Amino acid sequence: MENEKICPGTLQDPDLQDPSRRNFLKQSSLLTAVALTPVTALKAADEHIDEKIAGALEKMPLKMEVNGKAYKLSVEPRSTLLDILREQLDLTGTKKGCDHGQCGACTVHVDGTRVNSCLTLGIMANGKKVTTIEGLAKGDELHPMQEAFLKHDGFQCGYCTPGQIMSAVACIKEGHANSEGQIREYMSGNICRCGAYPNIVNAILEVKNGGLSV
Amino acid sequence: MKQFTYVKPATQALALTAIGKPGTKIIAGGTNLVDLMKKGVTEPDRLVDINSLPLKEISTTKGGLHIGALALNSVVSENASVIKLQPLLSMALKAGASPQLRNMATVGGNMMQRTRCVYFYDTAMPCNKRAPGTGCGAMEGYNRMHAIFGVSDKCIAVHPSDMCVALAALDATVIVTGKKGIRRIPFTQFHRLPGDTPELDNRLAAGEMILSVEIPDNNFAKNSYYLKVRDRQSYAFALVSVAAALDIQNGVIKRARLAMGGVAHKPWRLLDAEKALIGKPATEDSFKTAALIAMQGAKGHEYNAFKLKLAPATIVEALKHASGLV
Amino acid sequence: MIKEATISAIPTSADGLSRVDGRAKVTGSARYSAEYKLDGMTYAVLVGSTITKGSIASIDTKAAEKAPGVLAVVTYLNAPKVPGYQVAKNPAKPEAKSGPLKVFYDDKIMLNNHPVAMVIADTFERAQYGASLVKATYNKEAHDTKPPKDLSKGTEPWGGKEFSRGTKDAWQNAPIKLEQEYTIPNEFHNPMELHAIIAKWDSDDKLTVWDKTQGVKATRGDIAKVFKLKEEDVQVNSQFVGGAFGSALQVWPHEVAAIIGAKVVKRPVKLVLSRPDMFNSVGYRPYTWQKIGIGATADGKLVGITHEAAGQTSSYEDFAEGPINTSKGLYACPNVTTHYKIVSLDVGTPTWMRGPGEATGAFALESALDELSYKLKVDPIELRMINYAKTDPDNGKPYSSKYLDEAYEMGAKQIGWKDRKVEPAQTMQNGWLVGYGMGGGMFGAYRDKATVKAVMAADGILTLQTAVSDIGPGTGTAMTLIAAERMGISPDKIKFEMGESSLPDAPMQGGSATTATVGGAVYDACTDLKQKFQKLMGNGGADKLDYAKILKDHNLPSLDVTVQSSLGADGQKYSMQSWSVHFTKVLVHPTTGVVKIDKVVCVADSGTIVSPKTARSQIVGGAIGGIGMALMEEGVIDHRYGRYVNNNFADYHVPVNADIPQIEALFVNKPDLQINKMGAKGMGEIALIGMAAAVANAVYNATGKRVRDLPITADKLI
Repeated sequence: MENEKICPGTLQDPDLQDPSRRNFLKQSSLLTAVALTPVTALKAADEHIDEKIAGALEKMPLKMEVNGKAYKLSVEPRSTLLDILREQLDLTGTKKGCDHGQCGACTVHVDGTRVNSCLTLGIMANGKKVTTIEGLAKGDELHPMQEAFLKHDGFQCGYCTPGQIMSAVACIKEGHANSEGQIREYMSGNICRCGAYPNIVNAILEVKNGGLSV
Repeated sequence: MKQFTYVKPATQALALTAIGKPGTKIIAGGTNLVDLMKKGVTEPDRLVDINSLPLKEISTTKGGLHIGALALNSVVSENASVIKLQPLLSMALKAGASPQLRNMATVGGNMMQRTRCVYFYDTAMPCNKRAPGTGCGAMEGYNRMHAIFGVSDKCIAVHPSDMCVALAALDATVIVTGKKGIRRIPFTQFHRLPGDTPELDNRLAAGEMILSVEIPDNNFAKNSYYLKVRDRQSYAFALVSVAAALDIQNGVIKRARLAMGGVAHKPWRLLDAEKALIGKPATEDSFKTAALIAMQGAKGHEYNAFKLKLAPATIVEALKHASGLV
Repeated sequence: MIKEATISAIPTSADGLSRVDGRAKVTGSARYSAEYKLDGMTYAVLVGSTITKGSIASIDTKAAEKAPGVLAVVTYLNAPKVPGYQVAKNPAKPEAKSGPLKVFYDDKIMLNNHPVAMVIADTFERAQYGASLVKATYNKEAHDTKPPKDLSKGTEPWGGKEFSRGTKDAWQNAPIKLEQEYTIPNEFHNPMELHAIIAKWDSDDKLTVWDKTQGVKATRGDIAKVFKLKEEDVQVNSQFVGGAFGSALQVWPHEVAAIIGAKVVKRPVKLVLSRPDMFNSVGYRPYTWQKIGIGATADGKLVGITHEAAGQTSSYEDFAEGPINTSKGLYACPNVTTHYKIVSLDVGTPTWMRGPGEATGAFALESALDELSYKLKVDPIELRMINYAKTDPDNGKPYSSKYLDEAYEMGAKQIGWKDRKVEPAQTMQNGWLVGYGMGGGMFGAYRDKATVKAVMAADGILTLQTAVSDIGPGTGTAMTLIAAERMGISPDKIKFEMGESSLPDAPMQGGSATTATVGGAVYDACTDLKQKFQKLMGNGGADKLDYAKILKDHNLPSLDVTVQSSLGADGQKYSMQSWSVHFTKVLVHPTTGVVKIDKVVCVADSGTIVSPKTARSQIVGGAIGGIGMALMEEGVIDHRYGRYVNNNFADYHVPVNADIPQIEALFVNKPDLQINKMGAKGMGEIALIGMAAAVANAVYNATGKRVRDLPITADKLI
């Protein structure tokens, strides 16, 4: 078991054709050396001598742009985009409500489309542009959707709100905000337990009918 | 989640090499796989991300519509050719999941998604599909969402897809590739019944991957409807869903296609009911007769017996919509 | 009374002042409990038992301990002793129940998913994987999770004893009568924010937590008690709370676990419950069986109501609520008999969930009244008016205010009640059956004690401080509006500080009492502060004051007051209640049984509306909670295993946007000057109470099918 953890993919692995894997091995000669001598590493991990070696071996480089800012990170492949945003980048506006794609609180835009960041492996966002709620306003000037949510009270506790707003912006961009009924259907991937749905619909209608750029 | 290695092969050949190893899973949209990995239901040693492969295309060719395995559910559902030629598929896709999930989920992944049976999802529960030989928790348990057709004593789970119900009705073909080359599998044979091996959802062999799906041209575009009955108006799995497609000429049904979701381990094609519709007038009476035929062999269990009434009602309603009676 | 509160007859979502904390919420800068970044943060994940009753035979933590990043695995075998858990046992008088679940205390398993271990690691992913490596074996005992079907089992909690006003079971002798049974399943608060806590020991005997709680002071007190700390050495912060609806009214085992964990690893520990964990760790609305016998004279005068109820509780802790209360007091009925029991099962302890027992009770009573109206051939609203209580039937006291009759009228007009066909299953609309229904409720209008510190600074900014939490209703906004009116200043000159236990005392946010309680204290504090300024001026006459100028003229940096305020002694003379009525129009598909809510009108008699925008949202939100209760919410236990099988948002359905039409929330908006000087009563509970019956009654009107076992799913209508 331990062996699998410490020696992820060996050097003769054909998948090392993949550029991200090559980069991973290039980044540290120490890691390469350890990978070539698994027994040493195994022992190290067993004795808790160098947690960092074992840890780093499980990590991969991740380059992505979040809210216009370029990030170079080192992440475990199993880390979700949601956990990376919240725990590593301290962008806690994106919320965890279920962690299984069942509530929409984690909705962000990846390359302009709305997705559930809880089911997106961070590593799969490599090279992509991510927009979170923190990236919506222009400085002090709120995005029209944020203004509309304020005006129409599209929230109570505020926890689902970032996901709702990211979804609402996408809803209009996708062309799915042409009627109340269509908005309701296309906003159904975002659960609000406080029950702000009608207000959310009103906020989206206001932005849509106002013809403001989203 | 167990740690795994992640590779993203740049070519199909590399991908096939990569997926050939035991303990490997393909990841595309990840909406189902990541969910299952978080729950510990599946614990691959290695993920092969196939998103670099050129399998996103949707094209019309002579005789049919060709949809790449990596085409997103949302993209397919909004595609002009799909809406024009195969509106049933668009409707079914839009009835599934949520806009966000449809933006991630791929056509191939949708086919490969696993059951939503709650016993399958909970590793503390018995489940022959997840852990063969442990028993079926749902058979004598909470089986409200479960199958009424094709149940074996090993498994009562249903396939959760909406898209697949439409593809089964539309006589699609799945094109897969592996070390031995390309294979074409009729859609209705792609998924399987549980039998003695409920751990196998479908007939994709180890080391194979889906390339695309093809839908032959038809005359159903005018009279197609996908009706999904669920516990809330959106973002819920089907209690029962029906894909109905009719070719009606002068009020008489020339061809008919019917398939149900939420009732079996695979999208449940209703061939006998289809036959019963052919040559009949497109009336509620014809539909009721077909629905009765469709239900032959259905068997209810403690919590899902209501489907014996709901399913035929949904068939009739879907056919009424498809034929323009509603 | 309050200028901003001038609201139109049919309020819109744009009316009134926007939330004072709204900007933080729409920009993502509002930080909830799990969202504070601390140096050396660690992550804890709980491991739950896979059996329901028995004891731990063995627990293997070796693999988890070896896993990368894991810092500690805590079990009952190695957990540091929690001082408050070590209760001296009195063998002469053994306690029937051991009380709140003691985490990592012993080998006993009291419910399925009982925490048996906690893995702490340097990242969440590693903690979660570590948790999957912990393997426990158990000595299994037979469990019982099956809820009651009558009153034959169980015990009578306080207030549960058989009670009769007038003649016992008098309904049986009425000319028109019915007796029916009702059940509601276990329902879950499921706030969108997962319950979370960050625990950090500042020293051996000083603790700071960032915790999801509805009451920072109460949580501080409970934690201090459990860990035998001085209250002032425990700091509880809960700046933003992502919903709760009752689930954060008490300290739960996971909170204690995180504090234990922080002691073990000597670093801050963040523990976020998973959604499945939320189904048996933070309470729920308990399954309740009810039976109502109700009888009336032929002209609709109620003769008697007998209301029996049996709810479930845990084997280790009693939980009782008020399902039978509404039957005692909603109508002028001379003869009322009630009997309430709780049945101990091998499940988690329930807790108050929005509307609490009154919502459970109102579903049964208001369904029964509707059914009676059909038997009597009397309009349901008329039946309620025939039996309208002008004084509290339970204690004879006058009401501090009651305008429920006006609420009936407003709602009936708005929903188009005249379109309702008296005979069920008579109306079709585009192939769907149409039905109208109504149901109402009441909930005590409480005012507790609160202290507010009000500080006017030289820059003209008024800061109000009190240790209340805001789980969503918009407390800061309402308090700001009250202060703005009292002080004669603009709301943007007011800062409302809350959510920290170091602030002046305020009660929990619960029982619909915050606006009346804290608002009353804000009102009094601002009144006193203004008087202080007026005294300083010497004339005491001027109403509009330039506070900044006065401070400058007197060379003062600030002026402040700290005021404690509560209900006056006169309050006891009155019965204080908030009232609501809900009207729904539903569409039911005749063959598939699908129910669509087509129209909803809710009317609240909750005194003066202090904050129109947030008040409207609160009513709308409660109505949606009631729609969930009526149509889809149901926690399911597989009794063979005693384990929840739908403990997630995919299988436990709550309403989504597509389920909900525009909801009209109307207010009588007449002050109740007995409860506080603003005239404001609570509305959090009444927003939901009666809604499930309104839906069920509309479904009956549409279909002729009376569903008495919630939720009303399609399978029950075909």
